[in-house]
Amino acid sequence: MNLKIRFVPYEKFKENHLRGFLGSMRDNTIILIDAKLTPEEEANLIKETMEKVSGHFSGIELNSLELANGKSMDGIGKFKNAIIERIIGKKRGLTIIGPAKTVRQIRKNPEELLLYM
Amino acid sequence: MVLKRLRKKLRSLVSRIFRKQKDVRIGLYGPVNSGKTTLANKMCMDWLGEELGKASVVPHETREIQVKEKVTIENGGKSLSFNLVDTPGIATKIDFEDFIKYGLKNKAAKQRAREATKGVIEAIKWLDNVDMVLVVLDSSRDPLDQVNITILGNLDARSIPFVIVANKVDLKRSQASRVREAFPNYNTIGISAKTGFNTEELYNHLLENL
Repeated sequence: MNLKIRFVPYEKFKENHLRGFLGSMRDNTIILIDAKLTPEEEANLIKETMEKVSGHFSGIELNSLELANGKSMDGIGKFKNAIIERIIGKKRGLTIIGPAKTVRQIRKNPEELLLYM
Repeated sequence: MVLKRLRKKLRSLVSRIFRKQKDVRIGLYGPVNSGKTTLANKMCMDWLGEELGKASVVPHETREIQVKEKVTIENGGKSLSFNLVDTPGIATKIDFEDFIKYGLKNKAAKQRAREATKGVIEAIKWLDNVDMVLVVLDSSRDPLDQVNITILGNLDARSIPFVIVANKVDLKRSQASRVREAFPNYNTIGISAKTGFNTEELYNHLLENL
């Protein structure tokens, strides 16, 4: 089986919402977004995924890494990061979304993501 | 975007302040099969003498929002009345073939899957309608699941007070301490909804905090 990895800039993800991206899940495409999604965005993603679930598409696995986690940054670092995130309008990090039929699980292991196929 | 979030938080806070005591809604949220309905039934049996819904090992048994009104808990001279809201488990995937493994026929499995997806959507929508949440997690499983993180993040973002209930402590492989370590900034109470172990601490927490 061939897997595709598709990079989606956060700005494009926000513009197109999720409909276009969930369609590509059926083609065994893994999506990388250059930001950590907000909890509301994750909840909306789950809602839209549920609307698309069918015999061929059972849903997604997703996980994300955030640049500013507790262990890797001191107080000043976090403050600087907060300013940068305010300017660029997104949380710095990475989100991976994969089709559940292909990706069994995505686990976070503090600073890395493990994909189990 | 920031103003929009601020307006939403303010509206939610004002709504909660002015809502009458009898309209308080406590929601049970969590991933699939974490024991939400078992806990709901335990609470309803303890204080009303009747169960709320059907619990099962088959995933997505609860596929609709279920509400039990006027649940009153009392202890040490304090009492609290609320509406208990049991919600479908939240999931990012639902495969009808999983239900077939539990003995359902193909047609029934597909129907269950359809109902389960609607249930997940409803559960997320109902986050706007609850005043406090018990986040029920299975303490025998990895707490750092994305669904759990999404639920807690949404509760934080909406300023909805919550307590984490580390359920199923009766199981040998249960580790309530792992749940506490995963979410050190939040209150976690270890219980067994099935046996009733430590549910009194949960009731006291509700009495103290609402």
